Amino acid sequence: MHSLGCRLRRMNELSRAQIRDLMAQVLKNQDKELPADDAAQLREIGFRSLDFSELALRVEDETGEELNFDAPGLRRIATVGDVLDFLVELQHQ
Amino acid sequence: MTVATSRHPVPASPEPAGVDNRLVVGGTALTWRSLPTPTLPDPAAVLARSAVHALTAARQHAVHGTELLLSTASRVDAVMRAELLQAGFTVGVLDGDGVHPSAPARPRAAEPGRLWLLTSGSTGRPKRVGHTLDTLTTVRADQPDRTWLCPYAPGTYAWWQVVTLSLTQPGQHLVVVEPDELDDWPTVAAAHRVDAASGTPTFWRRTLYRDAEALGRVPLRQITLGGEPVDQAILDQLREVFPAARISWIYASSEVGASIVVHDGRAGFPVDWLDRETPGRPTLSVRDDELVVTSPYHGAGLAGPIRTGDRVQVLDGRVLITGRLDSDEINVGGSKVSAGVVRGVLAGHPAVAWARVTGRRAPVLGRMVVAEVVLAAADPSGVDTGVPDEAALVRWCADRLPEHAVPRRIRVLTDIPVKETLKSDV
Repeated sequence: MHSLGCRLRRMNELSRAQIRDLMAQVLKNQDKELPADDAAQLREIGFRSLDFSELALRVEDETGEELNFDAPGLRRIATVGDVLDFLVELQHQ
Repeated sequence: MTVATSRHPVPASPEPAGVDNRLVVGGTALTWRSLPTPTLPDPAAVLARSAVHALTAARQHAVHGTELLLSTASRVDAVMRAELLQAGFTVGVLDGDGVHPSAPARPRAAEPGRLWLLTSGSTGRPKRVGHTLDTLTTVRADQPDRTWLCPYAPGTYAWWQVVTLSLTQPGQHLVVVEPDELDDWPTVAAAHRVDAASGTPTFWRRTLYRDAEALGRVPLRQITLGGEPVDQAILDQLREVFPAARISWIYASSEVGASIVVHDGRAGFPVDWLDRETPGRPTLSVRDDELVVTSPYHGAGLAGPIRTGDRVQVLDGRVLITGRLDSDEINVGGSKVSAGVVRGVLAGHPAVAWARVTGRRAPVLGRMVVAEVVLAAADPSGVDTGVPDEAALVRWCADRLPEHAVPRRIRVLTDIPVKETLKSDV
């Protein structure tokens, strides 16, 4: 049973590219654009806490799974790549 | 007041003043006087089988002063039933054959004239609040003759409001709709010339959403809203359908009675009504964003200032009641958001028929504002008002609210959820 549960969860998991699409959608709704470069600074593109929270909710809604926000320790999230890495990792917690 | 019991039949009090008012129940025209007169146990918890049985129990209480808790079987579960038996009530279903009683666990003497209400219990178990016909009667001035719609569940505070009006004032007739007629009430109401109706904002939104045209055929001159926060959008939508009607909203509860009545067609009440003391009238105050009422119509055992648990916000000289304190406030990363204010903004969108706003767990900020909406049916005149998508609704809110109060996720539902109390948000 346990291994089946794990398999199902993995099937629902979003890829880095899918999360990137969702991130672009969050920004597009505010008439902003997501640069192709993962090194782009969040501050420069205007992606803030509210946007990050919205993106996390969109990931949850897509996968139907709750993310465990408390799992990873504090870290610095400054670039587009940081956001994507963090959310990919959060799905494994 | 004399008390009738089965063992000691005694002469009844005079019939109430409204005894010859018309009652329409399930399409049948009756009067209070023509209702059956079963003997009720005393004290009794009566579970009315249908609307006519609820009216029957109310009339018997008015004449005999029977200590009475009136409800329906669906609102009294096994635990509540045991509690009532323990509290000395004979509990029984009232139908065409009379009461089918279960004897109390601890029989006791009745308290003449006492009426008990079960609060809808938005949190935890419902509780009993003691009233009398007198403390439930809040409309005392002579009223123009009216035929009232009664859409409420028997025994609730709102139900008693309409029922006491008809019992105590000649010329106040009732058209009662049963739960299974609720979706089609405008047809019933138009057929029986209903010209006054009282309902929750959810009830009115649902009616407008289902069939605004049918609603427009009901010759309403008095429209009353209560039981939930009343926002400007629903008042404006009703005004559009009924330009000449008086549109009022009432703040009332089983604990504090009817405390606020507003007739100017606007949401909230003028800020200068706060802390104004008038003999015989409730005094309204605000403490820590909570509405506090000191009222002559409190339920039994309640006195002095009562904290209502309802959250208020002062905006443009009006005091808006935005929702329950424990659910209205959403803390988004340290900024307080009123769910009621956000709901008001969403409901103000021309294509939104209904909205619910809640907080949802989110990273970084703790909680985030999210919403569910039901979109209005397409304009029957064929004018394309456009169906907004999530992004359009988010933009609508972003233009009108601080950034942290904007719902970022908005889910579209296909029908307005409603409970037996005709409320959505409880």
